[in-house]
Amino acid sequence: MTPAEAQPRRGGSLRGAGPLRGGEILGKLGFTEPAGAEAVEGIMRPGALRGAARGRNLDGLAHTLFLRIYPVIAAVVLATQIGIACVNYADEFRLYGERGALLAGITAANLAQPGWSAAPERARTALQALALDPAFRYAALRDAEGRLVASAGEAPGKRAFDLLQVAADLAVPGEERAGSLSLVLSAEALRGNAEKQALLALGTSLVLMLAFVLTLRTTVRRHVLGPLNRLLGAMREVEHKRWVTVDLGGDARPSNEIDAISSAFNRMVEGLRSGDEAKQLLLELEAAHAKLEHANRQVIESIAYARRIQASVLPDRAALAGSGLDVAILWEPLHLVGGDYFWLEAIDGQGVIVVADCTGHGVPGAFLTLIVATALDRLLHERGLRSPAAILAGLDAMVRAQLRQDGRGAESDDGLDCGICVVDPASRTLRFAGAGLSLTRVGADGIERLRGGRRGLGYPRTGREALPETDTVVTLAPGTTFYLMTDGITDQMGAAAPGEPPRLLGHRAVADRLAATADRPLPEQVAALEAGLAAYRGAEPRRDDMTLVAFRLP
Amino acid sequence: MDRIQLPPTDRSPRVDFDFASGSLSMRGESYPEDAAAFYGPLLQSLRSFLSASDPRPIVFEVGLAYFNSSSAKALMNLFMPLEDAAAEGRPVTIRWVYADGDDTIEEAGEDFAADFDHARFEMVREARA
Repeated sequence: MTPAEAQPRRGGSLRGAGPLRGGEILGKLGFTEPAGAEAVEGIMRPGALRGAARGRNLDGLAHTLFLRIYPVIAAVVLATQIGIACVNYADEFRLYGERGALLAGITAANLAQPGWSAAPERARTALQALALDPAFRYAALRDAEGRLVASAGEAPGKRAFDLLQVAADLAVPGEERAGSLSLVLSAEALRGNAEKQALLALGTSLVLMLAFVLTLRTTVRRHVLGPLNRLLGAMREVEHKRWVTVDLGGDARPSNEIDAISSAFNRMVEGLRSGDEAKQLLLELEAAHAKLEHANRQVIESIAYARRIQASVLPDRAALAGSGLDVAILWEPLHLVGGDYFWLEAIDGQGVIVVADCTGHGVPGAFLTLIVATALDRLLHERGLRSPAAILAGLDAMVRAQLRQDGRGAESDDGLDCGICVVDPASRTLRFAGAGLSLTRVGADGIERLRGGRRGLGYPRTGREALPETDTVVTLAPGTTFYLMTDGITDQMGAAAPGEPPRLLGHRAVADRLAATADRPLPEQVAALEAGLAAYRGAEPRRDDMTLVAFRLP
Repeated sequence: MDRIQLPPTDRSPRVDFDFASGSLSMRGESYPEDAAAFYGPLLQSLRSFLSASDPRPIVFEVGLAYFNSSSAKALMNLFMPLEDAAAEGRPVTIRWVYADGDDTIEEAGEDFAADFDHARFEMVREARA
């Protein structure tokens, strides 16, 4: 029977409502729902199970088994019983015959006296005595010529198959052939016995059949159908992603095969459960990832906008064009915006060049650069300062005041390194003061590093600060180039050779690279340096913002 | 005092402050996003260790291949209480470890050394790996 032919559902539970056809069981369990009732994805598609469940069902199998096996057993039992009955019947028939012969013999011996045929009365009495036997039907005594001398009972019809006929000769001494006694006995009792036995055999077969059917059905139900129904129920649950396992360890011990199937099923459910959990986790992860990506995009967009603002605070690259100075700039924050800042301005025929490296990078660093930019503007234009050392001192005070670093327990532990050059092209002199930032001079006579004060500006006071009190004055010889750079330029981590632990490139190596390209135009030189730094880093990421201002007076 | 042991990350050094033996060390690179958050607890532990009057000698080994300016500031903050303890007579040694040829780290060590009058500041050159 195919599921499609399933009969209308029978009411009641799976058990106790009479045998259910497999199709009905499947129907009840939902495996015969029309296709497309629910499109569950994956390996547990309903169709997959429907296919697997198609074919002969187990209740039917029990039925078939019964139909196949029972007739054989019944036939064997019947044949055996009937055979036994036949042998019995034959044996008894023989014994009956012998008894009849004996009876006839005894009676014949009694009658065998000379002149017997003349005394028929006596013979009749003897024959009537035979009628005491309940099986007696008829007895006839004949003389040698076959004449009836005496008889008792009724002569039987010709075709009476359950009659037994025996004969005995009368042996009278002196007479060669005296006569014969024939006796007819009824075998009805025997036949009754045989019939009883046959009925008994039939009854036994019926009882056997009943016992067989009941046992088979109970066994199949208990050990096969019951466990299978529970398996099917569990499968349906699993189909709906409820990860139930089957425990068949109760009183209804399933067969080994079903036990193996349910163990395999349980393992599969565990596998599916963990797979489903992993899938859930993955989905959650993907959702979280999408959120992060969204948040990240927003942050990046926001910072990209901040970069426009920070870039607009920076000076025009051609701000010193009027002073006759050649200038090239490298300004590359690590994260779009940063703590590096530079300023270029021509005031009163003098060129002011400032490079500052505020603590931190990214947005926090960028905040500090705005404070520095504001302070610098006031120092240059409101207070009219032109001495780098004085400007540094002013910046230090203003930043510290702005960040409220003077009181005890200041929140901010921030500050900046700063280098300031004020160039007077007319006298070809340069005044420099630095706080944690040096000026590098590369000329025909080699490389020189003019160190400023060791400490930066800002930061809560520790009592160890030593800002430069005076400017360093340098002559701008033709062909000499000056560089103000933040430590992001020199502190590049990279492996000097493959396999070596990364180490810092350092100021000297950077100055050497600059000296090697000293005769090239500044923009080219700066671009070459940037490429060289990237090559040195290799796979190592940049660690800091980078700013370099190169200038020379032709 | 509990020993402080932090594994290295790509932005912070391996830290082993074994207060019981007076041996402190930091190795690796240091440019944490928030230097105050990283160094704050270390500084606090160091201070409370130093405040417990205990004359045991202290050796602080610093071997950093790279550190940013915030970390430099934080290092200075770690060094100051050590120098103060040395000024009060406690034997303190700072071992500044730098790779042979790494001028930047060597110079940074020299800069730090200038701040120490009482503590011993050793420059330790390590052969290149």
